[in-house]
Amino acid sequence: MKNIIIIIVITVIAVIQATEARAQQVSLSISPPLLEVAIKPGKSILIAYTLRNYGDPTILKARILPFEPLGSTGNIKIKNELEGPIQFFLDNADFNLGQPFFLKSADSQQLLLRIKAAEGTPEGDYYYTLLNETEPSAGLSGVSLSQAKATLGSNILITVTESGKIDIQGKISLFDVISRYSFSFFGRQLKLFDSSDLIPVTIQVENRGKNFIKPEGQIELRGNFGEKAEYSIIPKNILSESQRLLSATPSAALDCEDKKNNKLCKSPVSLLISGFFIGSYKLSTTVSFGDGSPNLYASASFIALPLKLILGVLTTFILGFFLIIKMRKS
Amino acid sequence: MSNVKCQNFRFLLALGILLIFGIWILKLSKVHAANMESSRFRIQGGNINIGATSPSSASYNLSMTLGQTAAGQFSRDGYIVKAGFQYIYSIIPFRFSISDISIDLGTLVPNTPSTAATTLTVSFGSAGQYQVTAVELGTLKTLSDNSIDDTVCNGGGSACSESSSNLWTSSSAYGFGYNMSGNDVPSDFLSSDYYRPFPDSTVAESPAVVMSNADVGSNRQSTVTFKTNISTIQPAGSYQTIINFVATPSF
Repeated sequence: MKNIIIIIVITVIAVIQATEARAQQVSLSISPPLLEVAIKPGKSILIAYTLRNYGDPTILKARILPFEPLGSTGNIKIKNELEGPIQFFLDNADFNLGQPFFLKSADSQQLLLRIKAAEGTPEGDYYYTLLNETEPSAGLSGVSLSQAKATLGSNILITVTESGKIDIQGKISLFDVISRYSFSFFGRQLKLFDSSDLIPVTIQVENRGKNFIKPEGQIELRGNFGEKAEYSIIPKNILSESQRLLSATPSAALDCEDKKNNKLCKSPVSLLISGFFIGSYKLSTTVSFGDGSPNLYASASFIALPLKLILGVLTTFILGFFLIIKMRKS
Repeated sequence: MSNVKCQNFRFLLALGILLIFGIWILKLSKVHAANMESSRFRIQGGNINIGATSPSSASYNLSMTLGQTAAGQFSRDGYIVKAGFQYIYSIIPFRFSISDISIDLGTLVPNTPSTAATTLTVSFGSAGQYQVTAVELGTLKTLSDNSIDDTVCNGGGSACSESSSNLWTSSSAYGFGYNMSGNDVPSDFLSSDYYRPFPDSTVAESPAVVMSNADVGSNRQSTVTFKTNISTIQPAGSYQTIINFVATPSF
């Protein structure tokens, strides 16, 4: 009897302890996620990347492809073929670009990337992405499935320059407030907000030069009673011959699930200013691209009135008035 | 007397209702600003790490961070490299996870949609602008080259494309597509019934952006639901394809 109980207990424990089937997971990280390099033609440099595997053991392959900016919000479009005069090699002893390597769980691999600007490389910018992609396993027979391949990228911005001089040609292409209510008044476009509304501001800078630029600056808000607030523009790279929406701090997010923000959510927002506003306000921005470059200026304005407050008080008074009259009559 | 009391009570009740109505009208919109500042300080979060500081004197100015190898600007004859916290404003490496890389659609039964899901997670630092794109390396196919076409959703006025989702609820609408939900997904996925077909790299279609954040963010997570539905004339077999999810930080 005692033996039977022991066997039952062991069986139950064995069943409980049976390992559950687990999905194969991919989890990779790369550092640094962005590299900015200025290099002379004929020179080469060596960069160490760290690729870490937080998921299941996997086979990976590293390769380099060029990219171009897509839209104005910082997205990229990776091209299909490697092109351009920049050459890339891996200095790792056991594998090179395009060759598979194995990465265990909780392990990391250093990728020693050599970047070479060949002699005679034209001055200008060259943009690439170092892609680390998993190798999908062979498909299972008898089931219909879709296999996911994970590719992790790290962008490389290369400026080839003989003299070290950078071509800076920036322009503020858009600086405005996004209002739900805007109308023309004596030929002037007025933007109207309720006093308690968030004020969405958008600023977009265009780079007409041959090299990427990183604008810095301020957005300043001035009220008609002398009140003043300053917001710093977060420096972001703007690639050559492209535009980019900038952000300012402190930033915040619009509640796009709220239907009344539908219009605002369709427009890109750089800064949301919160507070209680009354009267006319002027927004101005100053953008610079580093020492020796001229500052750029732009301005916008808006009017804020306590529309909700006025509407609420008026409605209350009108309803109250009619209610009192009705009650007196009765 | 009781009539006067009753009138007073009714008057107060009416006044109370009016006040509640007034407060409801005046209800101010929710503020979602995350302003970490006061008149005396502002936290910008650009470089929060152990030991980060900027000691300086008349003769030097040092920017210091701990925790990352080879952070800083390095220059020698002929090149300058900028890597590390001060330049990329990120103390967390760019990380991308897929919870399950084998998305099993099971045994396909005609006119009975089959779905399976996986979770994408992107973790990044304070300057965490990123994108995730998706592209299929060919349609769902058997080894004998029978294929399931990419979905057009319900078709007609409810047709979807690689860049725009639409309703896919009809059991007689066949194909293969995906739905997205969670953080930073395209806004056209209005509900779990909205689908898009994957762009196909074998016919030179550009990858579709399935997650993107133009603002700061970390630990962003979304669910991709794969769906296929076949007709009664679809040849039997194991249909398989590969979806390439490419995660890249911004520049």
